[in-house]
This record gives sequence, structure tokens and C-alpha cells, in this order.
Amino acid sequence: MRRNPSSYPLTWHLMDILEAVFSKIWPKGGGLWNPYLMLSPAILLIGLLVLGLGYIGDISLRTLDTSTFLFSEEWSLTNYERALTEPFIRSVIWRSILGATIVTMITLLLAFPYTYVMVRTRSAFLRKFLLIALFLPFFIGQVVRAYGWLIILGKQGIVNDILGLVGIEPLRMLFNYPSVLFGLVQYMFPFAVLMLAPALTAIPEEIEAASESLGASWVETMLHVVLPMAKPGLIGAGLVVLTLSLTDFAMPAILGGGTQDFVANAIYDQFFRTSDQGFGSSLAVILIVIGSLLVWVIFMLVGAGTLALGAKDK
Amino acid sequence: MTFDKQIKRRNLLKTTALLGIAGAAGSMAPSLLKAAPAKPKEIIIRAWGGPWVEALKAGVSDPFTAKTGIQVRHDLTEDNEIQPKVWAAVAQKRTPPIHINWDTTTNATKSALRGVCEDLSDLPNLKGTTDLAKPVGVDGYPIVNTYGYVYVLAYRPSAFPSGPPESYHDLLDPKFKGRLAFYNDGIGFHFPAQVAGGGKLDGIPSNMKPCWDFVSKIKAQEPLLGEDPDFVTWFQNGEIDAACTISTNALGAKRNGVDIAWTIPKEGAKFDTDGLWIPRGHSEGDLYWCKEYINQALSKESQQIWLDGLGLPGVIPGLQPPPGLAGDPSYPTKPADFDRLIRISGKIQVENESEWFSKFKAIMQG
Repeated sequence: MRRNPSSYPLTWHLMDILEAVFSKIWPKGGGLWNPYLMLSPAILLIGLLVLGLGYIGDISLRTLDTSTFLFSEEWSLTNYERALTEPFIRSVIWRSILGATIVTMITLLLAFPYTYVMVRTRSAFLRKFLLIALFLPFFIGQVVRAYGWLIILGKQGIVNDILGLVGIEPLRMLFNYPSVLFGLVQYMFPFAVLMLAPALTAIPEEIEAASESLGASWVETMLHVVLPMAKPGLIGAGLVVLTLSLTDFAMPAILGGGTQDFVANAIYDQFFRTSDQGFGSSLAVILIVIGSLLVWVIFMLVGAGTLALGAKDK
Repeated sequence: MTFDKQIKRRNLLKTTALLGIAGAAGSMAPSLLKAAPAKPKEIIIRAWGGPWVEALKAGVSDPFTAKTGIQVRHDLTEDNEIQPKVWAAVAQKRTPPIHINWDTTTNATKSALRGVCEDLSDLPNLKGTTDLAKPVGVDGYPIVNTYGYVYVLAYRPSAFPSGPPESYHDLLDPKFKGRLAFYNDGIGFHFPAQVAGGGKLDGIPSNMKPCWDFVSKIKAQEPLLGEDPDFVTWFQNGEIDAACTISTNALGAKRNGVDIAWTIPKEGAKFDTDGLWIPRGHSEGDLYWCKEYINQALSKESQQIWLDGLGLPGVIPGLQPPPGLAGDPSYPTKPADFDRLIRISGKIQVENESEWFSKFKAIMQG
């Protein structure tokens, strides 16, 4: 039986409108090109990004003349050479990669049990509590959260006040590498849980029951059944956390107290503090290359996880 | 014939009288009455927020609006963030997003070297300014310096019971470990550190090893690194005992009731200036009124009110220091006051600051 058009989903109506507008503009239609024309907004968006990247790539090959603050007409690899030989920049790049890797591992370790409990619990109260605990900080911006940690962990902060009650001298818990990683883990945690939740929800509970009925302990079931089946979710969450951490600006700037710059902070300095957009652009290109390489290696080793959007893993 | 003559004579007298009045008015307000072009509804001044913009508004913007009827909008975008936008607008021959940039002279020097600043050498009030108004290292007046400031050594008196620190070497005492603060790129500290490390100011920029050696010693004290607002917060929270910072921050903390004092150590202190400049690309009319604004900023009345709020010495002779700042090392007025202040050309600074910042950060983040 034919459905009543009013019961069609909203997206179908939108497509109808788009088609009507399209046929008004081009009555003969695009024939086989129609699907590609539908893709044009996405292509336009990507095109703009590529255009921006092209500009960054171009300016990264031009050196700044500090006697005129104009860029060279000729291309050269001077900025890249400087970026890869200057000890400070090398240490910043290394700190960013190491930090992003540590943050990804810790975040996944924490997010997995949290998500598992959230999707498996039979208590509606607990599920709601975990969801609220997840989303409440999610709705607060990164900068505000970082300043929140300054209030909590600062020398005059709440934690030191409590330690003071038992006679412990105030400790400096901020402005070091661990505090930046801590802030990043706290910031990335909801992203990881949100990426993991669909993957864990998709694992039928019956499979766990079957595993245990065949004699596997709960630990064995987790290790040999749930974890392998959750792998796509773990990979997807890991990729998101890794790339976001690698390019983060606010946490190193605020919780690092000027002592723990990541690449994004170095880029900001070059663009806005020393006005050397050429060198800053070369750092941006290096960051993009590093991020892409890391993602490519993960794709090659373990696939794209849930980011493959249904495509079969190799 | 007689009638004609009388008329002519009357006309002549009238004309002469009118010319006389116009001439007298012109001498009183030299630029305003000389073929003033149409007024824009508003002009946009980039400024720093908080007490900085309040002081500018009270001292310059409000009197300018009262005099001309032109509204002044203050754009609080950071100076170093507006810079690429202005440069891009000038390069693309678009109207810049601001009319006047209130900028550090070092930052403004980059714009001047790039050729994006209008010439300000015809401002009438420039005649009454001190040498401080002239930017060092650039030709003419692409920027007009409007006041100076000192990177003082601010300290908590209770942490220095035997008197103010006399030298940056005093900060190497182990009791100050973790209780010092500097700017995160070391600005303000490079030059005194050069002296503290046994070097000479002539060695800037060719031989700065003494500077980096001393910065390495300071690094062992695990200082906090931050920006202007951080220093006030850290002093307020009792987290630091000493900091190399702009005197305005120390004064701001003191005005907020923080127990703080400041000094110039024997190595000296960096002296720098801020200024006003107009980006190229505005219409002739807008440019005229922008120049009037800067001219207003160089008047004695405006300088007095504006700089009272900032606690900084201006570029017009005879300004009265704000209460408590007469004779203060952060408020130099006489030539002798500048003996221990270090002033390096803006051109040398902009040509080398990228390297200095990187080196400082490499040591501090190493």
C-alpha cells in the first residue's frame, strides 16, 4: 500500500524541495550528473579547505624579511629546515606527539569501563547519572574547564586547602606536563565515551552470556569477546582523541603555564607574536603531516574502526 | 562715486575683520578649522581592555567626542591579533578594520617597516612633545609614541625583609624557588639578564650568550611564566615573591590592596613605549579625523587624564605625576631618571625578537 506523503521523513521532503528548485533552475536536468551535483556543497566545503591549505603551503615556502616584514617572492625550504633543526621546535613537536599518545591511551582506558557500565547497567538512575556526568562538562567550553582546574589545583586552590588541613604544605600541581595531560584526558573523555557507546551497544548481551555459559570467566569474556568486538569503536575513539590532543592549544597554554607548549601554541606565537606567518605555516603543515601520518599508520595497522562508516575492514 | 567708495571700504573692512577672526580661531584650533572634511559617524580605536581602555576613554576619546561630535568605538581585539587583519586589508586595498591602533611601539614598528602606516609628522601637537614621542629606528613619524613604561622588578616586601632586591642575582636565593615570575617569552628580561650575566648592552644582538647563561640560572629557580593578568593574580594569591613585569601591573595590584613594591635593580630595566598609528587605506576624510584624534591624545589635558589612569609618564613636558609616583623609578621624567633604564631600538628588537623568544622558551621549556 502506498504511504501517505505526509508520513514521509523530513529529509525526504527536503530532497523534494531541492529537486523542485533544481528543476526550475535547470529544467533539462543533469541526468547522470545529478548525484555529483548533490555532492557539490560538500565539494565546495572541502574545496575551501584545500584552498586554505594551498595558501598555507604557499606561504610556508616564503621567508620573512625582518627589515621590511614582507615575504620573499621566491620559494625555499628555509622555514622547514629551521623547524626541523631548531631544538626548541623539535622538543615541542616531540612533546605534542608523546602527549597525544599518552592522552589517547589513558582516555581509552578510562572511557571503556565507563561506557560499558553506561550501556549495560539495568539501573535507569545510574545510566542517567553517568550520562549527566558525561554531558555536563561537555557543554562547558574547554577554556572555562581549564580555568576551573586552575581554581581546583592552584596553590591557593581547593585541593591545597584540603591538604593544608592535614598539615601538608601547598604543592604546585599545575604548570607542568602531567597537568596538561590531565586536563586533556578530562577534556577528551566525553568524546571517547560518545564514540565507544554505539560500538558497545551493538554487541548483543547474549553473546557475553553465551561466552560465560561456555565456561569463560567474566574477565576472559571481556578480553576475548567484548574487547575484540569493540575494536572498531576503540579505534574510532582513539583516532578522534589522538588528533584532537595533537592539535590542542588551550590546555597546554593554560595548564602548562607557558612551559609546556604544543605545536599549536608555537604556531600561534609565530603568527601573532613574531608576525612570521611563513614559519608558522611551515609548522602548521608539519602538524598536518604528522597527524595524517599517524592516522594513516593506524588505518594500515588496524583499520578505520567506526570511522569507516560501515565499510568492511580489510 | 563716494557711495561706491564707502561700500568698497565697508566691504574691505568686513572682509578684513572676517579674515582676522578666522585667523585667530585657526591659531587656537589649528587643524580643526582648516577645511575640515565631512565627519564620519564614528571612528574605531583598537585598545587594551579593563583600566587601559577606561583611561583612554576618559582622557582622549570622550574629550574628542565632545569636541567633534564623532563617536569613538573601542575594539578590544589583542594588538598582535589585529595586526595580520590590518596587514591583509592594506595588501588587498580594503578599508582596514580599525581606524587607529593603540599598539606597543615594537609591534607597531613591524607595521611601519612594512609600510602600512600613515605619516603623522604633520600633527600640530607634535611640536610640544619630548623626544620620547619619536619612534627609534624608523624614519619620520609612522607611529607616535604616547608614553613610556618600565619593566620593573616587582616584589613582595615581606619576602625581602632586609630591603628591596638590589640585583637579579638576589633572586637566585633557593628560598625563591618556584616563587618568581616572568613573561612567557622573556620580554622585559632579556636586556637586564644580559647585564646580570656579565655581558654588555653593546652585545645586543650579536653576543647574547651572557643573557642566556643567566636565564639558565633563573630557570633552575622554576619560575612561573605568564602574561600581564597572571602577574596580578599571582601576587594577589601570594603565589610569587618577585616578578619582572610592566610597572602598570604592579601599580594595578597595589591599587587592589596587594602588598607590593617595585624597584630597578642594578642591572637596569627595560624601558619601552606604546604609541598610536593609523593604517593606510582610509578615506581622506577619515584620515583627517583620525589625525585629529591622535593630536588630541598629544594635548596636555588628555595626556594628564589618560596617563593618570595608567600611572605612566607621557610625552608632554610638565605633566603632574599621579599620587605616589613622583620620583618613582617607574615614572622617569628627568634625564637622570633614564640612566638605569635600557632602551633598545625598535628595529633591533623586531629583527631579533623571534630568535630571542625561541631561545628563552627553549631554555625555560627544556
